Amino acid sequence: MTTMHLPGEDREAVAMEAHAPAGLERAKLVSPRSVEEACELLAEAHARGQAAVALAGGTDWIVDRHLADVSRARPVDLVVDLTAIDALRTIYAYEDGDKKERRLVVGAGVTYWTLRNDPEVLGTIPLLSRMAKDVGAVQIQTRGTLGGNLASASPAADGVPVLFALEAVLSIASASGTRKVPVESFFVGYRKTVLAPGELILAIDVRVPRAGAFASWQKVGTRLAQAISKVALAGVVETDGAMVSRAHFGMASVGPTTAPLTAVCSAVVGKELARIDRSATDAAVAADIKPIDDVRSTGDYRLHVAKALVWRALHAPP
Amino acid sequence: MIRLRVNGRACGVETPPLARLLDALRGPLGLTGTKEGCGEGECGACTVLLDGVPVNSCLVAVGQCEGRDIVTVEGLATGDALAPLQTCFIEHGGAQCGICTPGMLVAADALLRANPSPTETDVRDAIAGNLCRCTGYQRIVDAVLRSAEALRAAGPGAPPGRGTP
Amino acid sequence: MAVSWVGQSVPRVDGPAKVRGIAAYVDDIVVPGALFGATVRSDVARGRLRAIVRDPAFDWTGITVVTHEDIPGENIVALIEDDQPVLAAHEIRHCYEPVVLLACADPVRLQRAVKAIRLDVEPLPALLSIEASLAREQIIHKDDNVQKRYLLEHELGGRSIDDLIAACDVVLEGTYRVHHQEQLYIEPQGMIAWVDEGGVHVLGSLQCPFYVHKALKRAFAETGERVHVTQAVTGGGFGGKEEYPSVIATHAALLARKSGLPVRMIYSRKEDIEATTKRHPARVELKTGCTRDGTLVALKARAVMDGGAYVTLTPVVLSRGILHASGAYAWKHARIEGIAVATNTPPNGAFRGFGAPQTIWAIEKHMDRLAKRLRRDPLEWKRERALRIGSTTVTGQTLTESVGVDECISKAMAASDYTNKRAAYASAPRAAAARTRRGIGAAVFMHGAGFTGSGERRLKGRVKVDLEAGGRLRVRSGSTDIGQGTETIFRQIAADAASLPLDSIVFENPCTTNVPDSGPTVASRTVMVVGSIVGKAAAEVAARVREAMGHAGGATFAEAADALLAKGPVGALVQYEPPVSREWDDEAYRGDAYPCFAWGCDIAEVEVDLDTLETRVLGFWAAQDIGRAIHPVMCAGQVEGGTLQAIGWALYESVVWKDGKILNARMTNYVIPTSKDAPPFETILVEHPFSGGPNGAKGVGELPMDGGAPAIAAAIEQALGGVELADLPLFPEALLAAVLGKAAREATP
Repeated sequence: MTTMHLPGEDREAVAMEAHAPAGLERAKLVSPRSVEEACELLAEAHARGQAAVALAGGTDWIVDRHLADVSRARPVDLVVDLTAIDALRTIYAYEDGDKKERRLVVGAGVTYWTLRNDPEVLGTIPLLSRMAKDVGAVQIQTRGTLGGNLASASPAADGVPVLFALEAVLSIASASGTRKVPVESFFVGYRKTVLAPGELILAIDVRVPRAGAFASWQKVGTRLAQAISKVALAGVVETDGAMVSRAHFGMASVGPTTAPLTAVCSAVVGKELARIDRSATDAAVAADIKPIDDVRSTGDYRLHVAKALVWRALHAPP
Repeated sequence: MIRLRVNGRACGVETPPLARLLDALRGPLGLTGTKEGCGEGECGACTVLLDGVPVNSCLVAVGQCEGRDIVTVEGLATGDALAPLQTCFIEHGGAQCGICTPGMLVAADALLRANPSPTETDVRDAIAGNLCRCTGYQRIVDAVLRSAEALRAAGPGAPPGRGTP
Repeated sequence: MAVSWVGQSVPRVDGPAKVRGIAAYVDDIVVPGALFGATVRSDVARGRLRAIVRDPAFDWTGITVVTHEDIPGENIVALIEDDQPVLAAHEIRHCYEPVVLLACADPVRLQRAVKAIRLDVEPLPALLSIEASLAREQIIHKDDNVQKRYLLEHELGGRSIDDLIAACDVVLEGTYRVHHQEQLYIEPQGMIAWVDEGGVHVLGSLQCPFYVHKALKRAFAETGERVHVTQAVTGGGFGGKEEYPSVIATHAALLARKSGLPVRMIYSRKEDIEATTKRHPARVELKTGCTRDGTLVALKARAVMDGGAYVTLTPVVLSRGILHASGAYAWKHARIEGIAVATNTPPNGAFRGFGAPQTIWAIEKHMDRLAKRLRRDPLEWKRERALRIGSTTVTGQTLTESVGVDECISKAMAASDYTNKRAAYASAPRAAAARTRRGIGAAVFMHGAGFTGSGERRLKGRVKVDLEAGGRLRVRSGSTDIGQGTETIFRQIAADAASLPLDSIVFENPCTTNVPDSGPTVASRTVMVVGSIVGKAAAEVAARVREAMGHAGGATFAEAADALLAKGPVGALVQYEPPVSREWDDEAYRGDAYPCFAWGCDIAEVEVDLDTLETRVLGFWAAQDIGRAIHPVMCAGQVEGGTLQAIGWALYESVVWKDGKILNARMTNYVIPTSKDAPPFETILVEHPFSGGPNGAKGVGELPMDGGAPAIAAAIEQALGGVELADLPLFPEALLAAVLGKAAREATP
């Protein structure tokens, strides 16, 4: 096809090398098969003063490292690959005798692809599957995990609002044991969590909404796939007769952390659903969030849309 | 040395474990069919199958692929014979500049193995992570639907499945 | 056995390689021992470059460093005006302006080296908008910031256009704005360069090998035979790889010259979005006068475009912009002014449509507003006002053939059920509970095929066809296949012209050493202009063989060919001769602006969410008169691809600026449509053949870019009711502001 001769054509073909990004040239990668082993590896690294990172799907971290400004690329000594740990991918339902409710436990390593397709999830909490379908696109869903998104703590994550709406409790493991943290206490600031070095999220324990609940997921993004949300809302609203008996929400991209919309909950719980006023919920939303302008959207737009999404989450199952 | 299977063959690569799977494929393994369009997991030009499911290989550390099965665009044809999907792409205008085509084919291949009778909505959802700037997607969608028809018509002798995701 | 290949959708020649993943794009090509190349760029929009400071603590061993002082020829990127340097020497005129080039064998070390260079720039106040530039807040180009002006006047007869307008029943004014757009080809820009005894060699992703050739000759002070530019398989261009590759090729070649080694320079996506050209933003002011019955009398237009920091192709973009500012309609009188101004932003350049989408947006929106005032359905009324055979355009060109706009309109209307839907959506009850509303809207447009006026005569584009053993014909042309199917289509045209099987035709991969300059792969000219001489040359060679067959009695084509070749090479070199027509006056901008026009009618059906103001495009019907579809599948592919880019420009894409820097220089935040956003397309190819095009073909590449945005806007306006959209983009945030603005106006007593 081409008669051009490349320089060095006569030399033996040498394949191009694959380079690790700056700061990761000497990083070791270990793929433990158990949570205990992973926690031990992290603890040992910490004890030795080494920089260690736990890596699941890599949809945030690998991109960040590849694109990082080389002068700010902090060296990492050890990467603990979590993708070979089966125990992080379990899914099972159980009855909570104390709370008298059904709950579902999802391993932190479960991918959005699994959430989308797994019969148990679809049958128990279809809200999780609906949200998973909106995460990125197939290639992101097959790698992204709830655990990864929780640990990255981006306020734009799609999965986290659903965990808020489902009253999630996270189990966190380390070499010294496990602890439980309600999801609404997990985030302490923009991209900051309560995770201490050496800690791993094990599983997410969520409440199965009662039959007849309004469980909704709404995402407004820049496009219909591969989109970071401008606003996204997950809601679970339960009624007892005409009254709203329970309401939990999670809203993405309207603040430094996922917003629980506590003022909205106060405005609706205990009220007659049919008599809740739009101006009341609008005012509650305005009290709950102060969204900003950024490269994707404006604060005014976000606030306007947030009010509409909340109203929809109360009045029509989208 | 990281050992993996690529397009059915056992391979070993000497590369830092935190190099991206994409770079290991294009570099030491010499499989340049998988492309880099963005380096951030948005465009899907780097799509390969990892244990049967589509992933952006620019987001996967090669060290995470020890013992795993990778399928790239180079693995779709059987020797000289193009896969029905590839033939349909040529016939129906599914490829123009061709840079998105490898990733697009791999994503479509995964869809057809999991769902032999996709609707148009299913197809658009399956390739939503593969950006194309040339075609407007219409002919890609048509090519995938036609090839699903062709595979159904060919019956059980058609290319073996790799298992559902 | 005369099979006609033209009109058949033959399998594309480069299809198998592309679907197998073995087509060789520049980044796939391994060159042993090649260094990686990188660029140090300004992060300040304007300033005096005082010094380039290398960090003495950094280990510079094995790093090649190039500045403007290393340029052997002239520090100029040869194009139209010699104002753009290859590397900044003393002043910075835009963010991301290249200053220093580096090469190294280790790509990570190279990244560190980039960081180890500090540019000492004394910042100066920057001009970042059309308004600031027109107001001359600073002078950054010549003495008035103006890069180019045009004025065209049509049938004023000594009167002023304002008077002619004022005398009309219906007078309407408006200002319409459009924004930057990034080409976002999925393959980033890249070049591989090396210098040896044969001269300077580059290989890479490009549309116009001879533009790069011309630029390298200038920068290296080399003669043409010592510069070799080869196209690698190119992953999309859309104009973004028309002129920019000259810059990256020169950079890679300078590093190769200094290091003595081959250099590969492949841009990251971020660098590509930041530093390369984009569509010119524009502000178009229109004032029109028409009669009460809707006859278009007088048009006054002023189009101001933002050229960015250097002129590049701005004069030609502006030219096409003003030549399309009157739309597809007949006007009695017109005065159209164009001005391009400089700003301290990265130079803007070619992007499919090339000035026309900008002014067509304005005229179509203006016509929609006029239709409302005249109480006419916009599409019905535009149909009445459209040019036809016998009409005269605003440059005084009489259209004598190939005007398919009426058929495009009727077919698009029929296919989309426009009339019924338009009525149904207009009268749909506005129930408070309904949270979505639908609308349908249309655009009518034309696009001049080929270069303007005397452009083709000046280009002297040529094609060579050589006879080869066994009776094969090798087509040598500088026209590139960048996805649009040049290679396949030229073979179809040649095979038909020579009455040979398709397999007999071979397409030489464009390398400036091996092919003549056929002119650039731009301006929708590849089939119409270059294709026509491919056909002529192929016919000529085949005729010579057939003549020899006649003498040899009983010889096959192949045998006769071999016999001829035994006596010496056989080939035909043909130069393009534009069709005889009225002359084009470059000063007055009068005459036959283009040999012919392609025509279109686009209809879009949308659904708007009244709470979120998101627009979903439910359906899109594109009826386009392209003369003759040489390859119907590829032709429709051009229509659909171009239309989706236009939809992207309207609904999804924008460049977000701050202080002359781009905030969204990543695919995550520069948003193009995915397969879920794209509507189902129905493409209707209409054929009103043009006698000057091969088999009647006109240009198709850019026409589809012109109609998408105004059609979508018209549909949204119907869905929302009562808003007039004058500016792109039509993001939800803007629609919300429009709707709230309307509500506020209605609420005010």
